[in-house]
Amino acid sequence: MSTELTYPCSLSLDVPFPDARLANVALQALRVDKELSALVQKELSAVDSTLKVRYKATTNRMLRVAVNSFFDSLALVLEVMEQLDVDVIEARKAEEETG
Amino acid sequence: MSQPHSPPPPPAQPQPPNMTDLLKKPRRIALGCEGSANKLGIGIILHENDTSTVLSNIRHTFVSPPGTGFLPKDTAAHHRSFFVRIALQALRVANITIPDIDCICYTRGPGMGAPLTSVAIAARTLSLLWNKPLVGVNHCVGHIEMGRAITGASHPVVLYVSGGNTQVIAYAEQRYRIFGEALDIAVGNCLDRFARTLEISNDPAPGYNIEQLAKQGGRILLDLPYAVKGMDCSFSGILTRADELAAHMKSGGKGPDGEAFTPADLCFSLQETIFAMLVEITERAMAHVGSSQVLIVGGVGCNERLQEMMGAMAAERGGSVYATDERFCIDNGIMIAHAGLLAYETGFQTPIEESTCTQRFRTDEVLVKWRK
Repeated sequence: MSTELTYPCSLSLDVPFPDARLANVALQALRVDKELSALVQKELSAVDSTLKVRYKATTNRMLRVAVNSFFDSLALVLEVMEQLDVDVIEARKAEEETG
Repeated sequence: MSQPHSPPPPPAQPQPPNMTDLLKKPRRIALGCEGSANKLGIGIILHENDTSTVLSNIRHTFVSPPGTGFLPKDTAAHHRSFFVRIALQALRVANITIPDIDCICYTRGPGMGAPLTSVAIAARTLSLLWNKPLVGVNHCVGHIEMGRAITGASHPVVLYVSGGNTQVIAYAEQRYRIFGEALDIAVGNCLDRFARTLEISNDPAPGYNIEQLAKQGGRILLDLPYAVKGMDCSFSGILTRADELAAHMKSGGKGPDGEAFTPADLCFSLQETIFAMLVEITERAMAHVGSSQVLIVGGVGCNERLQEMMGAMAAERGGSVYATDERFCIDNGIMIAHAGLLAYETGFQTPIEESTCTQRFRTDEVLVKWRK
């Protein structure tokens, strides 16, 4: 099949983070896994404290599937940041020790 | 910071360990994350000189309703929703602080893609937040190393039997070499799917419930195909025949002796047949390697009937069988932490940008640098 794929369906997201460090952590955690389908393309970058997400797909259906999956992953990264970052764990430990 | 107006620096990449420093450390600690199938496990291990201590080993299993299996999408969602909870529990039980940890280990494969990836994303995030190196681990090697550590078997033939893998393995020249394996479905998959046919519970595990049911059977050994091909096994034809017999039973059909038979008789016959096949190929590998030790790892390795049959064979050869209980047999995080830390101590780590997952990752692809 030599037909060139076109990507008419796209979505851009700007995800704000509290600081540049966390935006960068999210970028590095989320950009490793390649899109499973050639019908979808993903570009991630971090600008200051914003994670910039650009999705392009051949159809809206493919776009929806890929973006839904991205949101699932993003939610996990956010939860890990909220509950397991070093300062959060230290604060929780201090709280437990003081009762 | 000397240049306050420069753009914020990227977060520090975890530095490769200075190996002399690491090995001089009296205590080395790894956190391991496992999620290649329906168990999410997080464990923390301590290496002190040559001893390994389990500091915590927490697991949560996604159990699907009777008659159904676990699908990748649902399983990945399970792992995502439990990751933080299980990680916090593992840290609390181990009673350590973040600076105590040397590396974060995760299952790179083999396994189901979506569940593997969900856990890898969380492991990467931990590695970046805590500024700890990441170590990708082969799931099968995790099972083998944990089995060796727990049982003390020094140079065993390894039978690795689970829902996704069936392999007879022996170590030679820094590789775990595969002597024989399943040609189609894994032995545990055969059991899991037969449990679905009978619509028995998947809680705590379908194989466990088949084992319990089989204890009530045995009035008759129903004839099933016996499919050993050289050093390899085939299970799909046996499953098909067992499913046919189950349908025959449900429609009121009789056994070859003209008497009715029960689900328990079917479970008994299935176990006896497939375990005999496993014992045969394991014995042949032992003869090849000249070893009298058998180490059984993987979820099916919990099965006491399999352990008993293997034990009888090993005893005839003047050897013995080494097995662990469900904490270490069934997928867990501690085995990933242990195998990962062994690799890390030899200088191995997985850069974040290369920390992908792979559904196919053969046991013999791993260079076992930590063994002679």
